[in-house]
Amino acid sequence: MRKSRWLTMVALVGVLTLVAAACSKDNGGGGGSTGSSGTSGSAINCDTVQFGCVVYGPGEPIRVGTLLAISGDVATLGTDSVHGVELAIDHLDGKFDATPGQLLGHDVTLQQEDDLCSKEGGQSGATKLAADPTIAFVIGTSCSSAALGVADTILSDKGTILISPSNTAAGLTAPSQHQPFYLRTAQNDAIQAKVVSDFVFTKLGFTKAATIHDESPYAAGLTGGFKTFFEGLGGTVTDEEAITSTDTDFKPLLTSIAQTHPQLIYLPDFNPACALIAIQAQDIPDLKGVALMGSDGCGASTFFDQAGSAGDGFYLSGPIASPGSTTSSLSDEYNAAYKDQFGSPTADFNTNAFDAFNVVAEAIKKVAIQGSDGSLSIPRVALKDAVFQTVDFPGLSGTLTCISTGDCQAPGAVNIGVYQAPDAPVNPATPDAKPIFNEQLTLAEALGQ
Amino acid sequence: MDGTALTRRAVRAGLMGGVGILYVALVGMIQAFSGTSLIGDVATLARLLILLPPFIAGYVVVRPRVQGGESMTVAPARALTVGAVSGLIAGGLTAVGIALVEILPEDTVRNIFVAVTTQLIKIIAFDRSTVQGVAILIVLAAASGALGGFLGAIQTRIRRPIAVGIIVVLLLGMLQDVFRVALIQLGVPTAWLYSARFGGLTYLGGVVVFAVGAAATIVWADRLRQARAQDEEEPAPDSRGVGQRPTQMLIAVGIFVVLALLPVLLGTFLSSVLGRVGLFLLMGLGLNIVVGYAGLLDLGYVAFFAVGAYTTGVLTAAPNSGSSIHVGLGFFEAAPIVILIAVITGVIIGGPVLRLRGDYLAIVTLGFGEIARVLVTSDWLKPFLGGAQGLIGIPAPSIFGFSFRDPQPFYYLALAFCAVAGFISWRLATSRVGRAWTAMREDEQVAEAMGVSTVKYKLLAFACGAGIGSLSGALFAVQIGSLAPSSFSILISIQALAIIILGGMGSIPGVIVGGLVLIGLPGFLSEFQEFQLLIYGAVLVTIMLLRPQGLVPNVRRMRELREDEEAQDQWAKDLDADTARAFSAESLGGPPA
Amino acid sequence: MAGAAREAIPRRAVGRLSGLPTRRIIQWVLGVAVVGGAALGASKTLALNTFSASAWRDLVVFGIAQGAIYALIALGYSMVYGVLRMINFAHGEVFMAGAFSSYFVARTLDHSGFLDDNPIISLLILLLVAMAGSVGVAVLLERVAYRRLRSATRLVPLITAIGASLFLQNTARGFFGAQTRGYPTPQILGGSWTIFGVPILRAQVIVIVVALVSVVGLSLFVARTRTGKSMRAVAEDKEIASLMGIDVDRVIVTTFVIGGMLAGVAAILFAIVFQVVGPFMGFIPGIKAFTAAVLGGIGSIAGAALGGLLLGLLESVGPSLFLTGFHIPGPNQLRDVIAFAILVLVLIFRPGGILGAGDAEKV
Repeated sequence: MRKSRWLTMVALVGVLTLVAAACSKDNGGGGGSTGSSGTSGSAINCDTVQFGCVVYGPGEPIRVGTLLAISGDVATLGTDSVHGVELAIDHLDGKFDATPGQLLGHDVTLQQEDDLCSKEGGQSGATKLAADPTIAFVIGTSCSSAALGVADTILSDKGTILISPSNTAAGLTAPSQHQPFYLRTAQNDAIQAKVVSDFVFTKLGFTKAATIHDESPYAAGLTGGFKTFFEGLGGTVTDEEAITSTDTDFKPLLTSIAQTHPQLIYLPDFNPACALIAIQAQDIPDLKGVALMGSDGCGASTFFDQAGSAGDGFYLSGPIASPGSTTSSLSDEYNAAYKDQFGSPTADFNTNAFDAFNVVAEAIKKVAIQGSDGSLSIPRVALKDAVFQTVDFPGLSGTLTCISTGDCQAPGAVNIGVYQAPDAPVNPATPDAKPIFNEQLTLAEALGQ
Repeated sequence: MDGTALTRRAVRAGLMGGVGILYVALVGMIQAFSGTSLIGDVATLARLLILLPPFIAGYVVVRPRVQGGESMTVAPARALTVGAVSGLIAGGLTAVGIALVEILPEDTVRNIFVAVTTQLIKIIAFDRSTVQGVAILIVLAAASGALGGFLGAIQTRIRRPIAVGIIVVLLLGMLQDVFRVALIQLGVPTAWLYSARFGGLTYLGGVVVFAVGAAATIVWADRLRQARAQDEEEPAPDSRGVGQRPTQMLIAVGIFVVLALLPVLLGTFLSSVLGRVGLFLLMGLGLNIVVGYAGLLDLGYVAFFAVGAYTTGVLTAAPNSGSSIHVGLGFFEAAPIVILIAVITGVIIGGPVLRLRGDYLAIVTLGFGEIARVLVTSDWLKPFLGGAQGLIGIPAPSIFGFSFRDPQPFYYLALAFCAVAGFISWRLATSRVGRAWTAMREDEQVAEAMGVSTVKYKLLAFACGAGIGSLSGALFAVQIGSLAPSSFSILISIQALAIIILGGMGSIPGVIVGGLVLIGLPGFLSEFQEFQLLIYGAVLVTIMLLRPQGLVPNVRRMRELREDEEAQDQWAKDLDADTARAFSAESLGGPPA
Repeated sequence: MAGAAREAIPRRAVGRLSGLPTRRIIQWVLGVAVVGGAALGASKTLALNTFSASAWRDLVVFGIAQGAIYALIALGYSMVYGVLRMINFAHGEVFMAGAFSSYFVARTLDHSGFLDDNPIISLLILLLVAMAGSVGVAVLLERVAYRRLRSATRLVPLITAIGASLFLQNTARGFFGAQTRGYPTPQILGGSWTIFGVPILRAQVIVIVVALVSVVGLSLFVARTRTGKSMRAVAEDKEIASLMGIDVDRVIVTTFVIGGMLAGVAAILFAIVFQVVGPFMGFIPGIKAFTAAVLGGIGSIAGAALGGLLLGLLESVGPSLFLTGFHIPGPNQLRDVIAFAILVLVLIFRPGGILGAGDAEKV
């Protein structure tokens, strides 16, 4: 009897393997959706073109996916971007009036997924969006880790554009890792790390610095980049430390860093860690006169709320939104509309999200095939090509040009500024603060190419 | 039933119901679910959530209960009024809450409870003016309570079809994303069932689904009754008799055919959710051996998950993965090494600490889980494990050129692993080893006195758990294709624990049910993602309070939990340690190996 | 069953001679390896001479202050364990509840300027509010979740407590938002006092003094008062205690009340030292305190204090002392590894914790 059970088991496993093999064969060939209605007379045949088209019947809404961090500790980041996208949809009709506009005569609806700021969140959200043939494109992810090697690959394999408002990790657009359907409107961290090291070495004249990252890929990427550039300039990184984002007691850590005698500590982390370190550094006698510096992760209103006067003097780097003259009035309208509909922004990337939507929407206008019956077909590959050909797009975060590795940034350069707390625009008390240092760099310049 | 007692209970349940409504409102669920329509544009998930507490209150109040040795029931007509009273009170309490928000100076409440916004008040007030809305709320809450009371009081024969019908409607409404896509992929028209405008079921669809669900229940109950009647007439001589075998085989084959066809029927996304369920099932099966069979509470199970994932990553990743080590093995070549390393880790971890009992073991394993997370994140091991940036470029497993990365093939891979792990743990449970574990779990001292080498069997359980857990990690690595240390938090351990607790410790079907409910449902219902941990917490507490044996209990375990352990402990304590020692040494001729 | 681990030693020592040597050898090898490694690391670090004497002194002071907070939370674990033999895993959330409830009052006081005008009165008010908040949650937990489980097997209440912990954390997150918030503290707590020539932060002085007073006060309470005696009786044997006319339910609730009060005190101390509150703030300190309680010997008041202190010191001094010498990058990242390794080591040699082997001091 035992033997027969074993045999059954083995046989079943065998059957399963065969079925699996058969299925993977069946599914391997296809991919994306195809449709044929209303495309007659155009150069593109949706039935034959690679990845096909996204097809909407007359009156059917265009469906756009968002894959942003809308829950958990990072919900402030993702919901802020969602608001940017919602305002972009609102503005399709040219005005912010809290009623959605239309794109090519179709409503636009959002299919919101959560990237959970993690690999598994990116995987499941991207799979869900990739499986839905009615999704025209996806805005996301919030966190680089959710995109890198996960969402970017899954969606590119299905020919769906993934355009991120807030991924800054350098690896996503590195030529060796870039996925063909991935783009971003956020700045590349390589540039920020370069500007920070220039500021510390050249402007402040410091040659010894220590770094603290908080185990997030964002912070680890920035401290790693800082070390490379800073040492390239001739500086020394005296100590590289890491904290857990849930830690609260940093005094022992700061004491041991102080023993390596840095002139500045670079901690591109998040709050409350940035604020707590600013507070606790005051209590370390050996850190008297040592400067502290963070990046856009620290630069949030919560920093000023938590650190209070202990934060004064803290350097904060971050991108400076530099809308062209044509968009500055739009920018004012946008800010007013945001405040009106959603209150104060909780993160910095909502304008990037607004731009991300508009960049793709513009491209859709160029490539979409409108049927006589009011139907709409969007060829996927042509859409991607059109987005990558975006030149001098007047966005809120700057004038955008997309390059072949997916970075959509100002053609001249990204403008990174350094502020000194409490005078920073993210501080609700000083919204008009001016940077004490700024530098415009292209990615190629930053990397010294 | 005594009238005043019933009234008092109704009031109490009503108040609890009101607290329930206020809780879901304050915790942010109502606002989060207000966009999800279940049926038409009227029945949103948020509204359902508001009316659920009064419904439960009404239902609970009239349930028959034993009082003074007699089962007390409430007549349906009376149940209606009693339920309505409960609902009325629940609605009233909510109204008081809304009134407080409105009366107090602006933002007083909002400054404390972030969920209290004008929008929330609007949702609770059914999109009417506040006064009008509150009136509607109270009336609907009373109606909901009355319905609950009525359903609680009528006969099971009638209640069951209605309940099943309602549940099926709600499920189809909630799983709209999933089913709509799946139906489209199958080429079934969905316009009659799902409303294109609101997303939920159409009114027609709702009625049809309810009718089908209810009818199916009636038919099924009927057949069951007939079968039972037949059984009573001519009882089978032996339940394991000859006639039973083919049927059992048929059922087994049927289940496997369904499992094999599922991804084809359900499409990519559902398959990926099932793949994730498979991962956690595997983990649940492994932890089940440690906790369920051997009774060792391991709160650091994530350590083995991490060992499996990272070993697989390092062994199989392409060059430039973030690790300086490049081995480049295939997944199936790496798997045995992964298991071996995990088992060794398990023995190293387990060896020194298995002498500790219960609570101490829990904290020490918790510590090991934390150590695993710190190590994979650390800059120290960054050259090998990628540090905070993690590893990328982990190739998909493939056999003869078929890749298992896409959700559907991956599902089969996970299914195969689960089947093997399930089979192994089933064999283990029924073997000598399993009996030793049971003996050890039920009473360690007695087991040892009877000649069971507890250290050896504990180590064995730990090693088995480690091996299976590491396989789960290995699958995780290849499913995602890249690894980040943040995926290996203590919450993984707690998720795995919640799965086996919900299903029933020591029960393999229980693990399956637990995995489907706790990993599958939130995967299908993306709205719940934000409240997943809250719900896990509630599930753990509720199950432990109301049904500690789990949903699908293991029979022996159930008996064990029912027993009054206090008495047993007392007995063990009273038993003179010296006598026990003498007994174990003399009667067994020396210490058991 | 607290005695389980205790009984194990003599039983094995006498009855299982042949099974003994290998395990003992493994234990000793492990022990010697860890202690030797630590000693080697420490000597290498000291030889490097990168740390000034004042830095070591500061590290010790920081460790003691952090340890004092752990000790206060650990007392709550220990009290409940002593009486009920259950680990109240949700005790970290009891602590969080105290911090949050006082936060809203502190914010109001700060806005009105009362906080800086009357710092002492304000702190007393905050302390009372925090204690009330913590006690409220602790008692609610006992009533709703734990009371019905008193006769269940040991895993059941522990798992319930884990669930309650998750539930409370995420409830707080839903109620008050996921973000951490700055906790306003009166200005006079800034700066430091010089004690015996050593400058110590005022907030830390307060933490250490309050923790000391609490430990001594609690010990006296348990040893001298009538309630304390009934607690010890219930800890000894619930049934016999109830036969002796002790209201067991009341004693258990009292235990939770005292544990909650101590958690409230710890919450205020945490708030004035770190100046932040958040829904997840209780989890990590809770686990650490739990570790401290086990390290010192769970169920013993002095053990909780000692364990907390030791853990605080290990976390503060450990990474710099043991790891810097090996040139391990980011040593402070590994502080939990050190703490847990020491825990394991202690438990291998003293399964009851440092002070837990004897029964004398059990609450």
